[in-house]
Amino acid sequence: MAQSRNTKRPPSGEQAGPLTSDLAARIKRAQAAEEAPGDAEMSAANRNLSGWNRGMRLGTEFIAAILVGAGIGYLLDLWLKTGPWLMLVMLLVGFAAGVLNVVRSAAEMNRAAPPPTAAMRAPDDEEDE
Amino acid sequence: MADPNKVDPIHQFQITDIVSFGEGGISFTNSALFMVLSVGVIALYLLLSTQKRSLVPNRVQLVSEMLYEFVAKMVSDSAGKAGMKFFPFVFSLFMFVLVANMFGMIPFFFTFTSHIIITFALALLVFVVVIVYGLYKNGLKFLKLFVPSGVPGYVLPIVVPIEVVSFLSRPISLSVRLFANILAGHITLKVFAGFIVTLGGLGFLGWLGALLPLVMTVAITALEFLVAALQAYVFAVLTSMYINDAIHPSH
Repeated sequence: MAQSRNTKRPPSGEQAGPLTSDLAARIKRAQAAEEAPGDAEMSAANRNLSGWNRGMRLGTEFIAAILVGAGIGYLLDLWLKTGPWLMLVMLLVGFAAGVLNVVRSAAEMNRAAPPPTAAMRAPDDEEDE
Repeated sequence: MADPNKVDPIHQFQITDIVSFGEGGISFTNSALFMVLSVGVIALYLLLSTQKRSLVPNRVQLVSEMLYEFVAKMVSDSAGKAGMKFFPFVFSLFMFVLVANMFGMIPFFFTFTSHIIITFALALLVFVVVIVYGLYKNGLKFLKLFVPSGVPGYVLPIVVPIEVVSFLSRPISLSVRLFANILAGHITLKVFAGFIVTLGGLGFLGWLGALLPLVMTVAITALEFLVAALQAYVFAVLTSMYINDAIHPSH
């Protein structure tokens, strides 16, 4: 039994040698193959999903800042009894903050999913001409 | 309005007491019940699925590991290595919102994320954690968050209030986004489903017409599952971004 195993081992070991020697390469290939469609799928899903999502994000960022600005102004007015003036000022500050929020989140989104570069758009432009 | 087919799309958001303690005091509502249920389901699932800790995971364990890795990657991507300290926090928030939204998709279940007070409380928690940790970690340097670098001194009186308002608007936009998405989705779903019943009451032609809202309802249900998962993701991503601000308070 032991002898037969000993005699059988070397050939199987030789077979296993090449099998395992390129195992690392195969794993790498499989991982690459798995990751590539996964990433593509992910970004495609992101692009589709995020139309509504991006709109929602930008909208809430903008409106929230205006509401907070006006709210702070209103409370300051109540406290300092300065009529409507601080509320008006803070409303404008809120608008500015809202624009700032929108610009920041848009920049973030662009960083996360870069818009097509000039090189990628070039064929289209040529077709237009 | 005494129509038996009357559809009330708001009724699903009504909070009812299940057990009340004392006159007009604290009561255990359906909202609270589903919060407890969510936490229970999350805890049970994660505990049971990772109990064996097998090297080669079975399907149940694999899902928990994927959730873990998904959130871990999200946190480390947006907040870096130092942000991993907050991984349990972000993971809890993500799971809580995700399971709550998913629970909301089951008929007759209550969706507590459709109440702004809940989402605002969650957002406020994030906000307070960011401020407290930012001040604790960076001291007064945390206030640099409000002073963008490279801005000349004479515009600071204008820029600083804008930055402050922008910072304060975060919990509001964070909570309103989640609440509005879930609320709008559930109302839309209910209204379209209501059309089926109302049209169905009109006889044969009505049934034919009811096919359209039926198709819409099926489509919107799928969309709502998407929104439920997506909003949990967005909430968690923004949380980790805000935590990043607390750790590195300069723009």
